Amino acid sequence: MDKILCSVATRGRYHTTLPLVLSAIINQTRLPDKLVIFDDNDEPKDLRNELAYSYFFKMLDLKGVQWQWLFAEKKGQHHIHQMANTMGYKWVWRVDDDAIPEPNVLENLYRIATKIDNVGAIGGSILTPPLIFDTSKSTGKIANIDKEPNIQWNHIENIVEVEHLHCSFLYRAGVHDYNLGLSRVAHREETLFTYGLYQKGYKILTVSDAVTWHFKNPQGGIRSETQQELYWHDEQIFRNIVGNSDRTIVVLNCGLGDHIVFNSILDSIPNPMVFGCYPEIIPCRSIAEAQALFGDLDQWNIYKKMAQWNWTGNLEDAYRKLYL
Amino acid sequence: MIVIHPFAKKLVNGKQNPKNYPYWKELIALIDEPIIQIGIEGEQQLTPDFRKNLPIPELRKLIQECRIWIGIDSFFQHLAWDEGKSGIVLWSVSDPLIFGHPENTNLLENRDNLSKNQFLWWDFTEHDASKFIEPEIVKNYL
Repeated sequence: MDKILCSVATRGRYHTTLPLVLSAIINQTRLPDKLVIFDDNDEPKDLRNELAYSYFFKMLDLKGVQWQWLFAEKKGQHHIHQMANTMGYKWVWRVDDDAIPEPNVLENLYRIATKIDNVGAIGGSILTPPLIFDTSKSTGKIANIDKEPNIQWNHIENIVEVEHLHCSFLYRAGVHDYNLGLSRVAHREETLFTYGLYQKGYKILTVSDAVTWHFKNPQGGIRSETQQELYWHDEQIFRNIVGNSDRTIVVLNCGLGDHIVFNSILDSIPNPMVFGCYPEIIPCRSIAEAQALFGDLDQWNIYKKMAQWNWTGNLEDAYRKLYL
Repeated sequence: MIVIHPFAKKLVNGKQNPKNYPYWKELIALIDEPIIQIGIEGEQQLTPDFRKNLPIPELRKLIQECRIWIGIDSFFQHLAWDEGKSGIVLWSVSDPLIFGHPENTNLLENRDNLSKNQFLWWDFTEHDASKFIEPEIVKNYL
């Protein structure tokens, strides 16, 4: 059976919703193999001697769930999720610190994720009482994100293929990176991440019988930032990525030889938009422009990718794997 | 006429690039044929005819005109591959199966010499002359 990591990023909620979330995780009918709590608090505490937490940790031990409490770098939750994404698990169940899953959520998400081919991410309803949105006409398509409520904001009757997910979900780890170019508010980070999986050809699903209750809390939270310019910065990156969704973004932040090798596969790339360093080899826009448009460029770093893949094939094939 | 491209890009830390072949002078002495060295300003001159900072179209032209070329793991081997002209590449710590082209004669002393991590900056790898193939052996492939 595949190993599942459960990741919780938390800030400012030690004594409000975080204990409820941990309790809900511990009481899942299908337990994760490991729970990692990424503590992004400005003044992190050792909670092992606090009554409720001490029992949580003992319960995890008794139930055979490995757990780890990591003090995060305060760079935003996208950095935290990227750590979880690259911890070597096949699946990661990300749970927000104010989102309380019903006991069957992980079991149902995992069951369907492994029953249907090529699932990249799968989520259930995320309900914020007392709000229930009319999602009867929602499509889950990225192009409609400004026009329709998210399908996850109501009870879901059937399995629906969508293009992006919200809040908490189970995803296939290590196949797509979080955009680390977002600001520390990480506005739209989960939308961009799941849409990136979709663009790579994976199915993104919303399913029934997997309800998470979102105790939206104005206090604390991983996004407790008030600087509007940070949201604006992230929104621009989101708009630029979505606005170019019909293009294959190519970023060649690498050497002359790499450009020459890449050029040999350029014709097979659908509708490319190339950013690079050597326009004399490939007509391209600048790397600085790519950085401004899309934030983080690491997802296109061929050397980082080859290292991640433990690559032993040739460079040309590595480019094919990245772009085709 | 033979074209040689002896040096890889300089490292940020100022050390010698571990991919640079250490026996060029010895190899050149074994060759009885006109040689054109290509490279950039600041590199050591090894032959009377040293053409610096040539634009890509002129490099392509030279590749077509030469009988054979000799290089190291640098952009030039890719440019020549793009031109469809095979040559000799002198390897040491980088892996010809990843960064090379099978159309070339890829001379690697020993795969045990390859750097364990092929994808980091080469600044972290020391230059080691013992990891390169001897010039007398290279001569046999000309």
